[in-house]
Amino acid sequence: MRKLTIDGREIEVAEGTTVIAAARALGIDIPHFCWHPELSVAANCRMCLVEVEKQPKLQPSCQLEAADGMVVHTDTPKVREARRAMMEYLLLNHPVDCPICDQAGECKLQDYYMLYDLKASRLWSEEGKVRKRKRAIFGPHVIYDAERCVMCTRCVRFCAEVVRDPVLIEVHRGDHSEIAVAPGRTLDHAYSLMTAHVCPVGALTSRDFRFQCRVWFLASTPTICPGCATGCNAFLDHHRGEAFRLRPRENPALNRSWLCDDGVLAFRLHNDHRLTAPELGRGDDARPVAWDEALAEAATLLRKVPKTQRAAVLSAEHSCEENWALAAFAREALGVERFFVTGRTAGTADDLLRHADKNPNRAGVRSMLGAEPEPLERLVDEATAGSIRGAVALGAAAATQGPAAAAGLLRLEALVSIAPRRGPLPEAAHVRLPSPSFAETAGTYVNARGQAQEFPQAMSPRGEALEVPDLLARLARRLDLGLPFRSAADVRAAVAPRLPRPAAEGGAP
Amino acid sequence: MNAFFVWMTVAKIVAFVLFILTGGALMVWVERRLSAMMQDRVGPHRANLGRFRLWGLIHILADGLKMMVKEDFIPRRADRLLHALAPILAFFPVVVTFAVVPFGPTLDFAHLGAVNHEGPLFSGPWATTLQVATIDVGLLFVLAIAGTGVVGAVLAGAASDNRFSLLGSLRAASQMISYEVTLGASLVGCILVFGTLRIEQMVLWQHQHVWGILVQPLAFLLFLVAGIAESKRVPFDLPEGESEIVAGYFLEYSGMKFAMFFLGELMEIVVLAILLTVFFLGGWDVPFLFADGLHVDLPFLDTWVWNWPHGVVVLVQLLGFTVKVGAMVFLQMALRWTLPRFRYDQLMDLGWKVLLPLSLGNIAVTAVVLAALR
Amino acid sequence: MPYVVRRPDRNLWEQSYVPETVRGLGVTLRHFFRNVFGRRDTVTLLYPEQRRPYPPRFRGLHRLTQRDDGAPRCTACLCCQTACPAECIHIVAGEYPPEHPLAHVEKYPVEFWIDELRCVSCGLCVEACPCDAIRMDTGLHPRPVEARPHLIYERNLLLSISDTAGNVHTANPRKK
Repeated sequence: MRKLTIDGREIEVAEGTTVIAAARALGIDIPHFCWHPELSVAANCRMCLVEVEKQPKLQPSCQLEAADGMVVHTDTPKVREARRAMMEYLLLNHPVDCPICDQAGECKLQDYYMLYDLKASRLWSEEGKVRKRKRAIFGPHVIYDAERCVMCTRCVRFCAEVVRDPVLIEVHRGDHSEIAVAPGRTLDHAYSLMTAHVCPVGALTSRDFRFQCRVWFLASTPTICPGCATGCNAFLDHHRGEAFRLRPRENPALNRSWLCDDGVLAFRLHNDHRLTAPELGRGDDARPVAWDEALAEAATLLRKVPKTQRAAVLSAEHSCEENWALAAFAREALGVERFFVTGRTAGTADDLLRHADKNPNRAGVRSMLGAEPEPLERLVDEATAGSIRGAVALGAAAATQGPAAAAGLLRLEALVSIAPRRGPLPEAAHVRLPSPSFAETAGTYVNARGQAQEFPQAMSPRGEALEVPDLLARLARRLDLGLPFRSAADVRAAVAPRLPRPAAEGGAP
Repeated sequence: MNAFFVWMTVAKIVAFVLFILTGGALMVWVERRLSAMMQDRVGPHRANLGRFRLWGLIHILADGLKMMVKEDFIPRRADRLLHALAPILAFFPVVVTFAVVPFGPTLDFAHLGAVNHEGPLFSGPWATTLQVATIDVGLLFVLAIAGTGVVGAVLAGAASDNRFSLLGSLRAASQMISYEVTLGASLVGCILVFGTLRIEQMVLWQHQHVWGILVQPLAFLLFLVAGIAESKRVPFDLPEGESEIVAGYFLEYSGMKFAMFFLGELMEIVVLAILLTVFFLGGWDVPFLFADGLHVDLPFLDTWVWNWPHGVVVLVQLLGFTVKVGAMVFLQMALRWTLPRFRYDQLMDLGWKVLLPLSLGNIAVTAVVLAALR
Repeated sequence: MPYVVRRPDRNLWEQSYVPETVRGLGVTLRHFFRNVFGRRDTVTLLYPEQRRPYPPRFRGLHRLTQRDDGAPRCTACLCCQTACPAECIHIVAGEYPPEHPLAHVEKYPVEFWIDELRCVSCGLCVEACPCDAIRMDTGLHPRPVEARPHLIYERNLLLSISDTAGNVHTANPRKK
């Protein structure tokens, strides 16, 4: 352990800790561009210079290991002058195109200029600036502007150290230096958007988010990435009911500071193909109706099917609360004994974050049901055989696809789908009831490691969508059947003891 | 009763009615224009005949035209007969009051050019008083007629089927009845002093002696206040009370019916001014002017007499009368734009606790002084 | 909490009402005679004939300024939309295709709506604009219209409005 003093406050840190990390632990924010807690130290931006007693020159705090008895000052006139000079140097060739730049509002250059510089440029002409590449397309998700780049090399280090795919390199020298994609490559690995995320300025930006919204309009809500069974912690950035991106939320035990590209883009699950009003009918007969009519039709259809031929389809895409509510409704009210599970089809996995199961809550479905649900294929088989004739299904995705599966689902005499968006299951259903998206409801996911993680509601449900427990309560009333829950609180209370273990460290927001 | 008398009476009635009606219309302009001047505004000036705007005088025509062509609105559940009767009953007494007012002394058409040595009131084959009706109880007639004014207001409110109207008429009734007492009582002093109920005699007394305001100053003040309250004008305009009861008893009136209330109220100003002039400002009396001409009678100097022909004297006296009436009208206008409205309890307090005791005291003092002087 | 209302103290002179009334009449008459015979105190402007000249910094209808080639100066930074307290500006940003002559500008407003009915003419959008792209120097008022949507002005209409001197361009003060 090392004991040092920063700005008059003492702190004890582990051996090998840098001064900037120690200061961060104290809540002292030392300005920096190139330093990132998860990346190696480059010490090339020189923004984090601090004054250390008995040392004649200012020291880069990101590189300086804490030592016993060290006395550090982060806010002396000398330090401030160094920061100001550094900012002037960084902004010397900066195009100052903030109105166009997507980073504006979350840009460290802007923040530090306002905090430490606040002076007009001494460059007398715009023409004197070094002109570099603009709008260079690095990969499917990332675009690069060399003029805005401060050459902190965070992106280079991220690719090399975290993804272990050194696709980005530094080229040229001096004020002509810039970042480039290695010859013959594009920035196309599965974590390319993290390069834009770690970029402290507007040099690397997301092509998906490009010009969609200014960041200062965005509201952030902590959430769990719904993209796969890893359950990465994230922030959902949204504005006026529209989601714009997911950002990684630090969780050292799980996803550290990262999110994969699919995860960042998983916000589209909220925006796209939404079901916003109850609908009746399949294919061309589909028509939106009022809730009353839809629920009455669902009740009529379900009544026609004998108990033994009813089934319920749970969804690995949906939260524990929604799945428990459906399971309880099916078991206690409908008398269902056969439970199936659906979800998005499996995808690629890697050893960093991505999990092959592209559903956030398969483990949760298992816990809520108290048994292993049967796969959807079996439902299709039995529907084709005629032994199951009616089902209530949660979720939009069908885990099995293909013409045989579609035909099997169409054989069902009563299929009531509860889904936030359109998909194979709702398309095959006789009644489609809109439910909230992952961002519009609070809930709990259990990830592949068995960690239960709660997330809050970010937005109110779009259109006429109803929370699943509420929706099921109305359906039960239509069927004149009793339900084991009355409110969302009942559902939460019922779900809590069934969760595999207390929320993972850092998981609960 | 000869033909000359009849024709002269008809002529006087026509002349007075015309004078009253045009005077009332003119009052609309006077009120709007004067108030504008008092309040640093411009006032009406837009109506025009081609290039002529005549300081907004044409607004009278425009207003009249508008009143005549406007929809005559009657509320669905109103009493149609009473609703129509009310404006007539409100308008009529105002006009009738003019009947007993002497505008000038006797005019003899036979001797217009000659110097009159007989005195202001005389009779002759070609002489006529400048007064429609010379009756014994002229002053009582005035008070009686003024008392009926309340009927129109009450009817209007009761017949309109509107709560605001009804409230307005209730306020009007209680206010007018309260102040009627003072109105009458304040004149008793004058009756005592002048010793007559004939209005032309009262003026004559003032012509021969001294103006009423000098012998009855308190009565003048009381009569002025009570008179303004009777005509329901600021600061006693509670029956209209725009801020509380919209427009009071004539809220449900439009077109010419409204105009009758409106003009009636404006003409009441003229009536009050005339009564003030007649009772307290010497009527047609012009200082130093006697029936035969100017008598300048200064102390320590010889009386200096300048004989004027009879016609000229009467003309100047008519002019003097008009000037006094104008001054009184102006006084009421200025009061209106000076004072804020009373609260209702203040109104009643003033009427019963201040004005009435004062007027009774005035009678007593006057009687005692007169008895002592006799 | 109960409290006593203090009536204003009035002496007998004021209480007797008459002298104070006379004093009030004096004020009324002073105004009257000054207006009739002397200097007029009326400040009324007889509108259609007399008009008060607009101050030079009058904030009129918005306009979007043009570049030399007629393209909007606006880069859809949304600063005006952010600054607007009435939330009457709505912008949809777009990107110039790479072969476009203005490709170096990258960003432009595909849609630019101003709801002139909601606008409170505060001028904060003009203050906020870093590109001198929005101005309120037209000297115009929103025209009377028959339906509310007609006062929701669209990009090309805003671009076509000129300032009082008939100018539709502005030079970017910072760079060309």
